[in-house]
Amino acid sequence: MSIVSGLLLIALAGVILNVLFYKSKIVQKYVSLLLFAVLAYLSFNMYKQVGSHFSIPFLIAGQSIGFTITWLNYYFALMITGITLLTAIFSLKYMEGKEGIVHYYTVLFMKTFGMLGVILSSDLITFFVFWEIMSWSTFSLMSTGGKEAPKSALKYFIFAVTASMILMVGVVLSYSLFGSFDFAVIHSKIDSLSLPMTGFLLSIFIVSFSIESAVFPMHSWLPEGYSNTFTTFTAYLTGISTRIGIYGIILFLFGIFGIQTVDKLVILGKINFRYIFGVFAALTMIIPTFTALYQHDAKKLIAWHSVGQGGYMLIGLASANALGISGGILHIINYLTYQVLIVFAIASVEYRTGTTNLNKLGGLIKKMPVSYLALLFGIIGLAGLPPMNGFVSKWFIYKALIMSGYPFLAIAAVIGTIGTILSVYKLIHNMFLGQLPERYNDIKEVSFSMQLPMWILMIVVFGLGVYPGLAMGLIAKIQTSLGLAVVPYSLHGIASGSGQLNMLVITALFMGGLAVAWIIYLLGSRRKHVNQYNNYAGGHFLNKDVAYNFNYEFYAAIEHVIDPYRKKIIERTERGIIGLVDAVSEYVRRIYTGMINTYAIYILTAFVITIIFLKELI
Amino acid sequence: MNTVLWIIFLPIIIFIIGTFMLGYSRKFIARIERRYGPPIQQVFYDIFKLMNKKTNISHGWMHDIAILMLLGGTLLTLYFIPVPGFHFFAQYGDMLVIMYILLIPALGMALGVGETANPNGSIGISRALMMLAGYDIPFFLTFIGMAMLNQTTSMYELINIQQAGGFFGWGLITNPLLGVAALIALQGMLGEKPFEVMVAPHEIATGPMTEMGGKYLGIMMIQHAIAVVVELTIYINLFLGGALNWFEYIIKLFVLFTVLLSVNAVFGRFRTDDAVRFMWKIPLPMAVIGVLFIIF
Amino acid sequence: MEEKLTQRSVWEKISNKLSKRSLWMLHYCTGCGAIELPPTMTARFDMERFGISPMVTPRQADILLITGYLSVKTLKRVVLTYEQMQAPKYVVGFGSCTINGGMYWNSYSTMKCLDQYIPVETYIAGCMPRPEAIIASFNDLIAKIDRGEANSWKDYYKNYDFYKANQDRTFEGPIETYNDIKADAAMFNIK
Repeated sequence: MSIVSGLLLIALAGVILNVLFYKSKIVQKYVSLLLFAVLAYLSFNMYKQVGSHFSIPFLIAGQSIGFTITWLNYYFALMITGITLLTAIFSLKYMEGKEGIVHYYTVLFMKTFGMLGVILSSDLITFFVFWEIMSWSTFSLMSTGGKEAPKSALKYFIFAVTASMILMVGVVLSYSLFGSFDFAVIHSKIDSLSLPMTGFLLSIFIVSFSIESAVFPMHSWLPEGYSNTFTTFTAYLTGISTRIGIYGIILFLFGIFGIQTVDKLVILGKINFRYIFGVFAALTMIIPTFTALYQHDAKKLIAWHSVGQGGYMLIGLASANALGISGGILHIINYLTYQVLIVFAIASVEYRTGTTNLNKLGGLIKKMPVSYLALLFGIIGLAGLPPMNGFVSKWFIYKALIMSGYPFLAIAAVIGTIGTILSVYKLIHNMFLGQLPERYNDIKEVSFSMQLPMWILMIVVFGLGVYPGLAMGLIAKIQTSLGLAVVPYSLHGIASGSGQLNMLVITALFMGGLAVAWIIYLLGSRRKHVNQYNNYAGGHFLNKDVAYNFNYEFYAAIEHVIDPYRKKIIERTERGIIGLVDAVSEYVRRIYTGMINTYAIYILTAFVITIIFLKELI
Repeated sequence: MNTVLWIIFLPIIIFIIGTFMLGYSRKFIARIERRYGPPIQQVFYDIFKLMNKKTNISHGWMHDIAILMLLGGTLLTLYFIPVPGFHFFAQYGDMLVIMYILLIPALGMALGVGETANPNGSIGISRALMMLAGYDIPFFLTFIGMAMLNQTTSMYELINIQQAGGFFGWGLITNPLLGVAALIALQGMLGEKPFEVMVAPHEIATGPMTEMGGKYLGIMMIQHAIAVVVELTIYINLFLGGALNWFEYIIKLFVLFTVLLSVNAVFGRFRTDDAVRFMWKIPLPMAVIGVLFIIF
Repeated sequence: MEEKLTQRSVWEKISNKLSKRSLWMLHYCTGCGAIELPPTMTARFDMERFGISPMVTPRQADILLITGYLSVKTLKRVVLTYEQMQAPKYVVGFGSCTINGGMYWNSYSTMKCLDQYIPVETYIAGCMPRPEAIIASFNDLIAKIDRGEANSWKDYYKNYDFYKANQDRTFEGPIETYNDIKADAAMFNIK
């Protein structure tokens, strides 16, 4: 039995077990955990069978369908099963005594099943079927936990159905054009297609995947959908679910269409298909990142970043040189680790305090130092500062953009990074720093089973920052398998070429700098820790009744600057679209008068038209 | 061996230059205000006194670590910037690395100030970060422009390219728009007036420094002395052709600093949103036009 | 005892010599004396040439300059501010009001003598003292630091019971400043 079938069957077994034994706590917790561990183990061992093919034992439209293992699959399968395992460990304590726990594990398995199927599939039919399973389970994930969840899940549903429909058009169109569903066959025949048709087909697929990966104009389902559900689901969804769309884009852009074919789609001079794609990616970076500044809810803030960070991956891919593509692919795993780490930290705070409202928290560093440290590692990664992993992939992307002559895409990436720094500081400040409200005086750090995933991720975030070569080895294999050039990497960064990067030197120097600073620090007299109420307040006496904190409207001044643009451009566009849709649907609604006579006339008219047309055809 | 000596003595040399430059700035402003002003070595006395304080209050472990991150991050930046005679680490990290490690001290400081639980500090940090959004975007764009023009992101190679062209090879001469935009952004980066709203002593009690006293403030002053030189050196390396020897380097440092100080001495303080708006309306379009010139 | 205070090691001598060149001042100006400070700081008298510059928060300051009278209400704030300052710290009483109540000597709500509540290093007599007097007193303070005699801040730890009793009597009950003076005294080895 190949690993592929093992993976899929175990995920399916998880679904069935959780449905059958819906009353058993042991199945829900420990058996599920065991199965997730087995999944992770199996997907780790997949590298032994790279290149192997597994066919489903029946034919569709006379064609054999099935799954293959490639390096790209392996990369994604590792991330999916790894993050599922960590989420399951975290959920042990987090979900204790919460409503909807039966549903929780069932959909978690279902979603894993769907995602594994999507990434492993080797033809369009399997891809589409698993894509649907995945979308439906995303919908069920989103619709649990909290009052607002069903409403926002419905919003996702509309987007997902649209995406699926577009994808189906693409599947049918490719079958009619190539006579095959198989990716390899399509890839071999792609050159015979005329350019406009190639552009049309590629756009269909890219648009469909862009909806799933929340690219700028199609992103509005994500923030609410992700933030209204359980926080562990938020971690799972932001971490990997959105990135399956990116998997689709990598697969179709480089695997199926091939970069040479895509580069033929020139519109005007330097402006080609990739550039337009890059512009949308740039907008995806800037606009959601600055929208995150306005959020008052930790989950919502981080969900907006989940949109924004997607832009970095896409812009890396759009640059289409070796460095940029490897940066984009590397950013997926880096993003996954720090984003999930951040959401776990938020989940820990929510678990202890019961809220994620940024205006109500504060000063938790004294009570929950491990969660604070987790969030700190996460935000340094998210902001892309050395020595954490986010920096490495962002460095690749900037360098690629500058060197291939896209300065304005590069500055968009910089603007995105600065917006990120601003909003993540607000996140960590309002939750963990500032004054500790009296009502949180008795809370404790979360238990070990919740700390464990955070510690693991902290090590990964830091480890991948210092040793990017660990992931780069795999990425080089992916690039080779997709027929792309490979970056000359080393264990610590970029080995050669103009301007190399050595993360070990940077980290070691930083540690050295800290050591020197520590020596200077020790030269002074001993420090004395004081109470938070022993604080300068212009001579005012502070105590627990005096709220002496600044977290509400944290960035009022810059909101003041951005607001006009935001209101003018975005809100008016949105209002325009809403108005248009309203007007159109108003006319469409009038068709349904509710009287049988009208319907009879419709049927008659349709009948007459059909006859006329048929007559002409015959 | 030579490298080891440089690694040990470079921070010390830069620190001494930095303290004299800060002392010079106080003297310069005093003279403009028709005062006698403090002696030029005043900053040494200040730092000594602060490090010598008997009590040092701290609000928690992040407050302690923040101060280390502040100085450690600045020292890290220092090593990556080529100065005359020493560019050993420049090969391991380029301008993009420098752009990002410049933000480490800021983030460290922000976290420490957050833990002091003083709203004045938090307001100061919020303003400082908003100002960062103002000046960093044009500054980064000039970085990118210079990197594109010379087809390298290594600061050391950039200096060599400029040196090869002599005086007319200087970035400021070849790209005056980028040079001036970066100069304005540098004013904001150094926190000189009119962009010093994050400190604003009369309004938010020196903002980030509100709860800092004793050795904490002392280390902040040491960091400030080094950071001033680091930031000015970045500008010199990018636009003033770097420097071949220490004499030229110090002359350039003082001349550039004097230009910035003259603006500082006669201006009031911009409100945060006005400052950000100014940065996005004057230097940013200038940098954009400059980059467009490079592309076409 | 007095001799013992002035016996200094070489390091203390050097550190006093250097520290006297940098004194940062927090001015507590609820009284009328504040108007004398701008000329002291600006071009005419320029106290920055002695290394004295104004600071805003007690954490950074070395000198607490109390200008003019203090009422019960403001004295509480002065005590809080004084305790928040970092040792070594020097209090300068400015004007007659801080010495004996001055023209408010018979008011029910003002303090008559500042050094009953916090240790005072130097007084500047007069109503109002002119900037020259302020500069002169600062020079006195600098000389005192140089000689190693400016140790009044230690009195607060040594005789805390005395100061605390006076404060409590005036404030009609203890005030909570979240400063553990006894523990600090143990830290400084002051008994």
